[in-house]
Amino acid sequence: MNTKLRVSEISKIYPGCVANDEISLEFGSGKIYALLGENGAGKSTLVKILSGVVRPDKGEVFLNDKSIKLNSPLDAKKNNIGMVFQHFNLFETLSVFENLSIDSDKKNEDLRLSVNNILKKYNFKIDLDIPVLNLSAGQKQKVEIIRCLIRNPKVLIMDEPTSVLTEQETEDLFVSLKQFSDDGILIIYITHKLKEVLSLCDEVAVMRKGKVVSVSKTKEEKIETLANKMVGENLSTIKKKINNFKYSEEILKISNLNFRSDDPYETNLINLNFSLKKGECLGIAGISGNGQSELFQILSGEIITDYTSIKFRDKEISKLNPRERREYLMAFSPEDRISQAAVPELKIYENVALNNFKSSNFFEKGLVNEKKIKEHSKKILSNFSVNTDNVEMKSQFLSGGNLQKLIIGRELITSPELLVCFNPTWGLDVGAINYIHETLININEQGKSSILISTDNDELLKLSDRICVIYKGKLSKIMYVNEVTPEKLGILMGGGSID
Amino acid sequence: MIKIEKRNDVSPSIYFFTPILAIFLTLFGGGIIFYVLGFNPVEALKFFFITPISDLYGFSELLVKATPLCLIAIGLSFCFKSNNWNIGAEGQLIFGGIVGGGVALLFYGHDGFYVLPIIILSGAIGGMIFAMIPAVLKTYLNTNEILVSLMLVYVAKLLLDYLVVGPWSNPEGFNFPETRQFSESARMPILFNGLRIHAGIFITLITVFLSWLILYKTYLGFQIKVSGLSLKTAKYAGYKGKTMIIIVFMISGACAGLAGVGEITGPIGQLHRNISPDYGFTAIIVAFLGRLNPIGIIFASLIVALTYLGAETAQIFLQVPKYTGQVFQGMILFFLLGSDYLLFFKIKFLGLKKNEL
Repeated sequence: MNTKLRVSEISKIYPGCVANDEISLEFGSGKIYALLGENGAGKSTLVKILSGVVRPDKGEVFLNDKSIKLNSPLDAKKNNIGMVFQHFNLFETLSVFENLSIDSDKKNEDLRLSVNNILKKYNFKIDLDIPVLNLSAGQKQKVEIIRCLIRNPKVLIMDEPTSVLTEQETEDLFVSLKQFSDDGILIIYITHKLKEVLSLCDEVAVMRKGKVVSVSKTKEEKIETLANKMVGENLSTIKKKINNFKYSEEILKISNLNFRSDDPYETNLINLNFSLKKGECLGIAGISGNGQSELFQILSGEIITDYTSIKFRDKEISKLNPRERREYLMAFSPEDRISQAAVPELKIYENVALNNFKSSNFFEKGLVNEKKIKEHSKKILSNFSVNTDNVEMKSQFLSGGNLQKLIIGRELITSPELLVCFNPTWGLDVGAINYIHETLININEQGKSSILISTDNDELLKLSDRICVIYKGKLSKIMYVNEVTPEKLGILMGGGSID
Repeated sequence: MIKIEKRNDVSPSIYFFTPILAIFLTLFGGGIIFYVLGFNPVEALKFFFITPISDLYGFSELLVKATPLCLIAIGLSFCFKSNNWNIGAEGQLIFGGIVGGGVALLFYGHDGFYVLPIIILSGAIGGMIFAMIPAVLKTYLNTNEILVSLMLVYVAKLLLDYLVVGPWSNPEGFNFPETRQFSESARMPILFNGLRIHAGIFITLITVFLSWLILYKTYLGFQIKVSGLSLKTAKYAGYKGKTMIIIVFMISGACAGLAGVGEITGPIGQLHRNISPDYGFTAIIVAFLGRLNPIGIIFASLIVALTYLGAETAQIFLQVPKYTGQVFQGMILFFLLGSDYLLFFKIKFLGLKKNEL
C-alpha cells in the first residue's frame, strides 16, 4: 500500500500575516517526515489545512495524485488522514472505550474487537474500561492515536506530540511511530525540537515565516545546521558557570510544606523540604500537573497553607500575601501570561502597576500616580528590550515574547532577591527564549536567587545549579546539575527512582 | 454555513456609540409596535418621548425619575465592574427607605437642620447593611450573590408591607397601608416652587463625581478594574479579594439606600407599599446602557427615565397600559445586548464559494 501526499502552492493569509506562502511539499509512505519550525512559522496552519480545519486561500492537496477537497475535518477522515493534536480531545470522566465509541460508527462489539487488535499489534497497555482522567499523558495520547488507527489511516499527522511526555514515554512513542511507518502509514511529525527530528525522522522540511526554507534528509543535517535554518540567523550559545554555593548564605528555607486540596483537579503536596542559597538557581522538573502550579502559588502567596513553613531571609513569610511578599523582595512570574501575569485588556503601564511594591509610590495616599507608573514602565520597556515604547498600548497587542519580557522586566526591575518563575519560555520563539535565558543567568551572576519550575528539561539543564523533580506532589532528592542527565530526569519524572 | 468569530480589536468610539444605536433601534421597534396596535407610529412616539418633556414641569419630572436611577446605577457599576452581580438593588433601596423612614418617624414633630442629614445617612447605612448580606455570604460561604441579592428584594418588600400595615401605620390613617406624612424638617428641600425636583439631585451628582474619582483615580478603583478583568491576576497581585467584594457591595448598597431615602423624603414624603416603581431593577439597564461609565450613566438614566414618563403620557393620551414603558426598557436592553454581540463577534457566512467546488 503506497501512499503519496502532495501539497501544491498552498497559501493562507490572515489579516496582518501570511501564514502559508506558496507551500509545495511531497510526502511518500514508508518514511517519517518532520515539519520543523518556530512558533508562528506556519506549521500549524499547514497541518490545519491538511486536517480540514482551515481552508487555504489558494492551492491544492493531492492524495495519490488525485486532488482532494478538505472542507471539514470530516473530509479529512473520509480521505483517511488522521491527526493527533497537541491538546487532547477526550472526555475525562468517560471511559477509554466510551471515548473511542463516540465518533465511531461501528457496533460496540466490532469496535472492541478492532481496538483489541490494535492494542495487541502495537503492544499498547491500556485498560479500556477506566475513566480517561486516570490515565497518564502518554496513555491519553495513545487513546488519541488508537482513535486514528481504527479508521485505517493512510496519513497520520502528529502535532508536537512530545510536549507533554516524559523521556521514557517519548521513546515508546518513537518505537510505535516507526512501527506505523513500517506498516505503510505516512507520518508527518510536527515539532520545534531538533533532537527529535534527528532521532526519529527520515526527511525534514524547515519552515520559517510561512515559507518552506529547506527540504533535506536528516542524515545530512546536524542540530546546529537545522537550528540556523529554523531561526534564519546564527544563534549565540549561552553557558552558565558552574558553582556549588557551599559557602553561600541561605536565603530561602522550606520545611515540611504540605498542601491538601478539596479540588480533585488540584494536586496535594506532600512534605516538601528544600532550601536555596544566594545566587543559586534551583530547577524543579516534572510533567505538568504534578503539583507545580500549586507549589508556585504557595511560593507566591496566592495559596496560604496552614502547615507551611516558608522562611525567606530568616523571616517567617508563610502567612503573607503576594503583595506583602514583594515587600520582602520576592518576585513571581506565573506560567499563564495572558490571564494571570498580565491582563490583555489593560494598557502596558497598568499591567506594570500590578507589581506594586512599597518604594514604588505608584499609589500615593490611595490615589493613582500615573506619571510615576508611566516613567517606571518606560524604563522597563527600554531595559528589557520590549519592542515598543508606547506605554499606553494595550498589552494584547504585544507578542508572547514581548509580553513575557515585559512581565520578567516588571518583576526584575525592583532588584528582587528571589525570582520564582514557572515555565517562563513556554510557547515563545527561539529569539525570545534566548533573551529570557540570558536574563535569568544574569540575575544569578548578580547574586540573586531563582527558582525555575519548568517542564522543559533542556531549559532546566541549561539554567539550574541544582535540579529536583516533582512527581505527584512529592519532590525527589536534589541533585547538582553536573550529576543530572536527561535520562535520570526522565526516570524521576515518570515516578521511578534512581540509585 | 455560519461561523461566529471573536473580533480582535474594538475601537472605543464604537463601543460608546452602540448604546446610541440601540436607542434608535428601540425607537424604530417601538414605532412598529405602535403601528401594529393601530396608532400612527410618529404620533405615538411623539406622545411617548417628546410630549412628556415639552414643558418645565415635565422636565422636572424627568430629573425626579432620573435621580434615583442614576444613583443606583452608579453604585451598581462598582459591583458589575468587579464581576459581582448585585441584582438586589431594589431590595437595598427599600431597606434603605425603611431605615431612613423609621428614623424620620422617630423624629416626627422635631425641627432642626440636623434631622434630614441623619435620615439620609441612616438610609445609606440601611442599604449598605442590606447589601452586605449577599456579600458576606458570598465571601465566607460561597453562595451565589445573584440568587441571594435577588431573593432579599422580596424579604425587604414584605418587611415594608408588614411595617406600613402594622406597627408603623398612621394612627389617624383609617387603616390605610401607609405611615404618617414626615415632618417638614425630614423632607428634601424643593428646588423650585411648583416643581417636584428636589435636593436629591445634588446627592446624585456628588456621588457621580466621587465614583468617577474612585474608579479612575484611586488604588481601590484600579483593584476593582483588575479584579473585574481577571480574578486570577488580582490574586496574583495580592489584592484582598474578599474585602474587595464586601466593599463594592457596600458602595452599591449605600447608593441604593440613598436613592430609597431620597424617594421617601423627596416626592413621596411617607412610607407606603410602593415606594419604588422597580428603580432598583431598571437601574441595571441604566448601568449597562451607560457602559458602567459615570458620564454614560448620567445620560442613560435620563433616557430610561423618559420611558417611565412616556408610559404615563401614553396611558393618558393613547389609552395603552403604562407597562409599555417596560416594553421599551426591555427593547433597549435587547438591542444593546444584540449590538454588543455584533460588536465583539463577527458572523461569517461561509457560502458555497470557490474552493467548495
